Amino acid sequence: MDKVFQIDDLNLFYDDFQALKHIDLEIYRNKITALIGPSGCGKSTFIRCLNRMNDLIDGVKMDGCIRFDDEVCNLDGYDVINLRKRVGMVFQKPNPFPMSIFDNIAYGPRRQGVKDKATLKETVIKSLKQAALYDEVKDDLNKSALSLSGGQQQRLCIARALAMEPEVLLMDEPTSALDPIATQKIEALISELKEKYTIVIVTHSMQQAARISDYTAFFYMGELREYDATDKIFKAPKLKQTEDYITGRFG
Amino acid sequence: MTKKVKILGMVLDGFTYFSAILTALALFMIMGFVFRNGFSLLSFDLLTKDYHANHYVATLNEDESITFTNPGIDEGYFVERYGIIINDTKNLSGDTIIEVIYVEEYSPFNALNNQNDQIIALEEGMLLSRVTYEEHPTSLTNRGAYSMAEDLNNEDRVIREVMFSTVGGGIRGSLIATLYLIGLTLMIAMPFGILSAVYLNEFAPNNKLTRTIRSFIETLTGVPSIIFGLLGITVFVPITSSLTQANGSNLIAGALTLSVILLPVIIRTTEEALRVVPNEHRFASLALGANHTQTTFKVVLPQALSGILTATFLAIGRIIGESAALIFVLGTAIKDRVSVFESATPLAVHIWSMMTDEPANIALSSTVAIIILSIVLILNIGIKLSVFFWNRKRSVS
Repeated sequence: MDKVFQIDDLNLFYDDFQALKHIDLEIYRNKITALIGPSGCGKSTFIRCLNRMNDLIDGVKMDGCIRFDDEVCNLDGYDVINLRKRVGMVFQKPNPFPMSIFDNIAYGPRRQGVKDKATLKETVIKSLKQAALYDEVKDDLNKSALSLSGGQQQRLCIARALAMEPEVLLMDEPTSALDPIATQKIEALISELKEKYTIVIVTHSMQQAARISDYTAFFYMGELREYDATDKIFKAPKLKQTEDYITGRFG
Repeated sequence: MTKKVKILGMVLDGFTYFSAILTALALFMIMGFVFRNGFSLLSFDLLTKDYHANHYVATLNEDESITFTNPGIDEGYFVERYGIIINDTKNLSGDTIIEVIYVEEYSPFNALNNQNDQIIALEEGMLLSRVTYEEHPTSLTNRGAYSMAEDLNNEDRVIREVMFSTVGGGIRGSLIATLYLIGLTLMIAMPFGILSAVYLNEFAPNNKLTRTIRSFIETLTGVPSIIFGLLGITVFVPITSSLTQANGSNLIAGALTLSVILLPVIIRTTEEALRVVPNEHRFASLALGANHTQTTFKVVLPQALSGILTATFLAIGRIIGESAALIFVLGTAIKDRVSVFESATPLAVHIWSMMTDEPANIALSSTVAIIILSIVLILNIGIKLSVFFWNRKRSVS
């Protein structure tokens, strides 16, 4: 199967604390990979390695090898800006900029030098449609993004990431700050987006992982304990610990 | 026990009330003082008139004998022979003076010859200080307007010379100097201040050097402004004199001195504004492939704008209020013709200058104080309104 990311023996330290230990993992194209595990297990740290957002945190050291499209992307000279253009990210808390809906989505393309209004408008509308938000906001794209509801804001953030036409979309607990109905909409959206994008999602909800993902990775104490097709993980986990976690016996 | 707690609470509450009342009282006392002393002199003329009176000596063009009629003004004393009305009044120092209330269009006083044979006019609002006649005693101000009008109407008398002057005491020059200083200082201090704050908060690594710079800046806010005045007179005045056409003290050196005083204030206020911008927005921008500079200038700075606006208004307030440093750099000579390459007094120094005159002009100083207080008040309201509208424009109503 076509691999987007291949991670070999990844170790990550916050100063002296080792947050990730010897991670080996492959992420497949056009699949949804869910990362599960109890709080503090390193899954959010791991997802931030994939677009090198950890670079922004003081005292983070990393060794090992992450290949993106067969290119080692965790080296100093690697073009991080380009990586982040190809690997979009949606955060836990909806974080639209205090600008209009239009400006939020046009933000990424504009920073790459796109100035033509027609092109921008096309991109904005396309992204909003992809994020299933267009029908709700089409009347007034100049409205402040902050006037949207939490769920709409999160879909706006997804649209904003999609406007860059990334290959991979990283989602760090995208529904944890949302109510069940908004969550349902986002989940439906994620399943649709699979057609075109590779998605890596961190989630605390076992049901969510089971519902939407194709592959599931179980992290525990900075280690990748089990990684397999979601069906197998949920129906016949190899480890007792995995079973205990997904059945809610600990966590 | 509960009783004790209750009493302690009442005492503490009492202290807070007392402090608040005391503060309000101090403010009212200042306002009361300047308004009681200065309100009567407050007029629009004050803002537009020169400080120094201009004196003119002139002769009459020809002495035709036309008789003018009073246009129906009750005040003052009408001079039929020349078509002017004059009246007694008092100047800002309390001396009796004679004011010209009305000059008829065809009055000979509307076309007088000065000593260089140029035609000048006696204008309404000017002061008539002396009229000399051929072979007759001179009419002087201290004998009053009635006496002067009578002398002027006397057919026997032929005018040899008229002396008159503008009123003076206005603050036009100082007002313009204040505006120049505000403009120049903001032009210098804002870009440097804002960009330094951006560097310290967004770019600089959080290390010992940055922390040292920051504590230096904080120390600078506490330095008395007169020390900056010394810096101004020993550094900025020579530099500006050698680089520009200025010769000696000048407003540019004053603005540079004020900029140094203001930099720490602007840096601190801007930094506080930058610090409240949520990190999530920085991350969101970076995750979209924007670089650090784009993130700073497109996402972070716009959100800090209301804080930067506050910094600007605070800065303007400081510029208007500063006197000690500027007395060194600009001197205390009040000027009516203001140029950035010359010295001039802003309003605060204008007060200082009038109060060190003999005798001190408390009334006019209070009037200028009212003007300064009003500017500060308007600015304060300005800050609140612009921050309010800015925030409303950008977020949920």
